[in-house]
Amino acid sequence: MPLFGKSQKSPAEVVKALKEAVSALERGDKKAEKAQEDVSKNLLLMKNMLYGTSDAEPQTDIMVAQLAQELYNSNLLLLLIQNLNRIDFEGKKDVAQVFNNILRRQIGTRSPTVEYICTKPEILFTLMRGYEQQEIALNCGTMLRECARYEALAKIMLYSDDFFNFFRYVEVSTFDIASDAFSTFKELLTRHKLLCAEFLELNYDKVFSHYQRLLNSENYVTRRQSLKLLGELLLDRHNFTVMTRYISNPDNLKLMMNMLKEKSRNIQFEAFHVFKVFVANPNKPKPILEILLRNQDKLVEFLTRFHTDRSEDEQFNDEKAYLIKQIKELKPLPDH
Amino acid sequence: MSDEVIYQCVIMGSEGTEEPVHIVLSDEDNMLDDEEGNSRIFEDLEPTSWINDEDTDVTTFFHRVDSDQIIYEAKKKRCKMIGKYVMGDLLGEGSYGKVKEVLDSETLCRRAVKILKKRKLRRIPNGEQNVQREIVLLKKLQHRNVIGLLDVLVNDEKEKMYLIMEFCVVGLQSMLESTPKKRFPLWQAHGYFCQLMDGLQYLHSQRIIHKDIKPGNLLLTLSGVLKISDLGVAEALDFFAEDDTCFTGQGSPAFQPPEIANGHEKFLGFKVDIWSSGVTLYNITTGLYPFEGDNIFRLFENIGKGEYTIPDEIENPLRDLLHGMLQKDANQRFTLQQIRQHPWFLRKPSQTLEQVPVPPLRGDELHNMTVLPYLMDFHYVEDSASVQPQYYTEHERNAWAEGVEPECYPSEWADHVSDARSRSKEASPKKFQDELRYNHGEEVLENPSEANKRKSKRRTTSCISVKKFPPCKQS
Repeated sequence: MPLFGKSQKSPAEVVKALKEAVSALERGDKKAEKAQEDVSKNLLLMKNMLYGTSDAEPQTDIMVAQLAQELYNSNLLLLLIQNLNRIDFEGKKDVAQVFNNILRRQIGTRSPTVEYICTKPEILFTLMRGYEQQEIALNCGTMLRECARYEALAKIMLYSDDFFNFFRYVEVSTFDIASDAFSTFKELLTRHKLLCAEFLELNYDKVFSHYQRLLNSENYVTRRQSLKLLGELLLDRHNFTVMTRYISNPDNLKLMMNMLKEKSRNIQFEAFHVFKVFVANPNKPKPILEILLRNQDKLVEFLTRFHTDRSEDEQFNDEKAYLIKQIKELKPLPDH
Repeated sequence: MSDEVIYQCVIMGSEGTEEPVHIVLSDEDNMLDDEEGNSRIFEDLEPTSWINDEDTDVTTFFHRVDSDQIIYEAKKKRCKMIGKYVMGDLLGEGSYGKVKEVLDSETLCRRAVKILKKRKLRRIPNGEQNVQREIVLLKKLQHRNVIGLLDVLVNDEKEKMYLIMEFCVVGLQSMLESTPKKRFPLWQAHGYFCQLMDGLQYLHSQRIIHKDIKPGNLLLTLSGVLKISDLGVAEALDFFAEDDTCFTGQGSPAFQPPEIANGHEKFLGFKVDIWSSGVTLYNITTGLYPFEGDNIFRLFENIGKGEYTIPDEIENPLRDLLHGMLQKDANQRFTLQQIRQHPWFLRKPSQTLEQVPVPPLRGDELHNMTVLPYLMDFHYVEDSASVQPQYYTEHERNAWAEGVEPECYPSEWADHVSDARSRSKEASPKKFQDELRYNHGEEVLENPSEANKRKSKRRTTSCISVKKFPPCKQS
């Protein structure tokens, strides 16, 4: 115990004080200013326990364990996230830092915080809905992506109804929030390969009907980003089943052919990488084959003149030549 | 070829007679095919100075010089550019060519350039094909734990190809070799292994089977990020392939799974990488190999049986993981997913033992950018004659060479140059290396390059040409 100055607060005291302050803030009574101050002060104390400061080392493992235990018992994490919009600017960042640190905590092979959040999925849902409030969206984003690293938590988020809100969040007009939401969205769909593949298979219709809207979005960035992600998803071997299903649907082929003709060259180029899969498919279903046959000559002509200035990109040129050859050689299925 | 380092050395007269004898010699690694350098040496040499030398005393004819009296003059750093890249010093060498450090003059990023010579490639079985394949594969890959290929430049006149890659400081193999027990503390091995699994998962998701995972092919950046490199023998599965069946394997023998050792016609590709990662994990945590043999037949026989022991000091979660990855039956062998959910993978071991550091390159522990002296010369040194040349002795040179690495450079850098030769050499424990070369069909073909390397090493001594300049004769 230091000789001068206040004695250090124990984790339990900090958690208790912070909980009271946040509750006061939530009630919004007259002492709001005082509460705000207390919240900031205690958040800072908590952060320093975990990260240390320039003069002090982080606290010992025992202290951190106590702090984590108090946080679980008091349900403070949820309370903090629910009231994040009421906390001041620095405080919001401190919440995210405390949250991410506690989340990473490990005891042996166990991640106690992950286990805790599994029992309180409300934390995740509240975080996801954070994208609806501008002032806390980015803070929630950093916490969400940290959560998405854990398969168990990613699974809860993917399979929740709130997940489909992402199709809205990635399109909001505030650019930084939309792109933050998109990176979280992408993380959830690509991080844990088997989990994602299974999710996409099980929810194929729902996901891709929503996805269709992104591809048709008014917003150029959304269109381009979602097309790129679609390419990544379909070309990933883990999503083989999803890919075969996607390329059997003539509507998807039509969409890609339209995107090949988009104004933006970048979108044309991304569309090419999805379009090629339809053509390369050795077992093209009849409707797909028919569309390609109907447009056989036009497609050959179009592709011959498609991005001819990419002469240095050998792989692209090889693929293009391959597609042209494939399309030229297309024959109608024999009638049975 | 102004970039080749040529060491000039000045020998002080043995009896203090101040008789300057100039020895111009080329550094071993620059000797290989530095025709231009050689011709320069011979131009300077005046044969008459030998003929006119009537001194019959052999001792004066063959000037005996103690090695500590040989003084080398560091070659001046002449700035050279390939495209927008400023060349730096040599980082390593393989049978395909050299690897040097470069600086991207536009972005100021440190890069490595792999210089491939068509002439050398032709001598290596599948050489050109492997390089082509590697370029095609690397171009479309982008992942934190897979080496990035940023640019490819071709000089048709010189028949050279320059592959600009991400800059790495060392390979795990040379790091292991710099330690007495040839292994990492568990926590350090764990960090590398997790990164290996991340990179491998990405490769597999892109339908690529690496087929040659081993410590020699795992490089580290300055910040300790692991990069899987050398996709020279990797295979890309067909986009619509039903499964990962493969038919050919040409990785390093000691890291091959039983199905390849037993000569199966077809096998599951992804499980090959799992097995080699298992051998790698075994190797970096124990300093040993699970399977050894006096020659390739014995080795393959032992791998084929699938019987091995894990040292007692390896405790359970890791033991179990190794057993799972080194399952003889590929169907029983762990999948990437199973590894990622394994207790040893999930748990970060505590940092008990001291970290194995990156060994210094030519005495430089910090791995400073070697391009800098060239830039200094280019921009600040106007009259190069007035600059004091830097001298150092044979003894110092040898000390650096030993301090850094037995062969002067981290051996993996050789591997950075998709090196079919070192594949057999490094991967296999020393004892049966020789047998490998002569007994295994594939390796025999690789012999020329190996022999070539040895020859060039021997040439190191013979390349010292002693010359007396005319003015010196009078004394």
